[in-house]
Amino acid sequence: MSDVPTIEVRDLHKKYGKTPVLRGCSMTVRRGEVVVVCGPSGSGKSTLIKCINGLEPYHSGSIKVEGVEVGAKSTDLPRLRARIGMVFQHFELYPHMSVLDNVALAQIYVLRRRRPDAYERAHQLLARVGLQDKSNAMPVDLSGGQQQRVAIARALALDPQAMLFDEPTSALDPEMIHEVLQVMDELAADGMTMVVVSHEMGFARRVADRVVFMDAGEIVEDAATEVFFSNPRTPRAAEFLSKILPH
Amino acid sequence: MPDVILQNLPFLLHGLWTTIDLSLWTILGGTLLGAALGTIRFVRAPVLGTLSMLFIEFIRGTPLLVVLLITYFALPALLGYRTTAYKAALLGFVLFIGAYLAEDFRSGLRSVRPSLIQAALATGLNRWQVLRLIVAPQAMRSVIPSVFNQYVRLLKFTSVASIIGVTELTGAALLVNARQFHPIAILTTIAITYLVLCYGLSLVGRALYAHFGVKT
Repeated sequence: MSDVPTIEVRDLHKKYGKTPVLRGCSMTVRRGEVVVVCGPSGSGKSTLIKCINGLEPYHSGSIKVEGVEVGAKSTDLPRLRARIGMVFQHFELYPHMSVLDNVALAQIYVLRRRRPDAYERAHQLLARVGLQDKSNAMPVDLSGGQQQRVAIARALALDPQAMLFDEPTSALDPEMIHEVLQVMDELAADGMTMVVVSHEMGFARRVADRVVFMDAGEIVEDAATEVFFSNPRTPRAAEFLSKILPH
Repeated sequence: MPDVILQNLPFLLHGLWTTIDLSLWTILGGTLLGAALGTIRFVRAPVLGTLSMLFIEFIRGTPLLVVLLITYFALPALLGYRTTAYKAALLGFVLFIGAYLAEDFRSGLRSVRPSLIQAALATGLNRWQVLRLIVAPQAMRSVIPSVFNQYVRLLKFTSVASIIGVTELTGAALLVNARQFHPIAILTTIAITYLVLCYGLSLVGRALYAHFGVKT
């Protein structure tokens, strides 16, 4: 089974009304790979990863997660989504539940874990992201960085095969970005398959196996991290890098 | 307290009790109906969604008295059942306030951020679980003020039931006034009584909101 890619996107097209947002994107993510997707805002990065777990429908092309076509009518989307963790730009913790309940909820209702097991696992994961002492806090009482770490724990609670990150640090104050990236570094080191939409080029250099550069709904460049940074193939990627990297 | 009130106190208290009883049962039934219709509208259920919308528009375009006349005279004649003034009033109020509450519930459900719903879906919860576990609990908290506003309106609306012969507070007062004619004393007394009831009800709403309101 190891030759079935975790995520395989083929010639993906999507429009909002008449405006095309994805124009024939293809990419493959293998087990254990970390792929950073970058590009100017409006280039379709977020839309692309939301298509991967079926949060956004697509018009043509194919996305397979562990060989299962996401857009097929017969696909059990909740079940597929439970195998892919997702982390959002604005954390999206459930505001009416404690941190612990946020992490335990899907374990109980999706994985059908017994409550004591779910809470035990939630405590473990909160410890892993360094928030064991916040389990009874409400989301509103946490800083942005803490909320995002809880969101990562919530996604990990499903023991996912892959994790999607949609600009996980772009809503954070600079001093909090580090604590979130550190958790993501550790995840990558543990061998988690990750697709990360981000402008954190330092993170990309440290942990990404590949960098995918998008512009205007197309994947312009898909290269090994070293190659992308040292020798971008296209002028668009080079221009983007020159704007975003410190000189 | 004026003599006319004291002399008729048991009768007026019975009317007051009928007002409270009618209001509480209507609140229960109307809230259930409103929550059901509001949810059907929110999820845009085919057919049922359209029927709910038509019902809500019909009720909102019809005077309360006409609704009561329909539930007292027209519906029993049309469907061939027997009713009493109390039951007809209860049904009418439930339908009436339920339609208004449905719109409050729907806007409460819609006030939950779409991105939060996406995040819940992304964890593998199905649509009904997301509605029940994430959207509804937050919507309920956010609609407390507008729902209690409807409850207060309803409490005052129950006086209209006197016209189809329910001896609730206003009906009882009108009967006493017909016998002894002290309109100022009688109407002032019941006006103050309604004021106290409404104020108490809105205090309950405020306390609930202070306790359950979502802080973000």
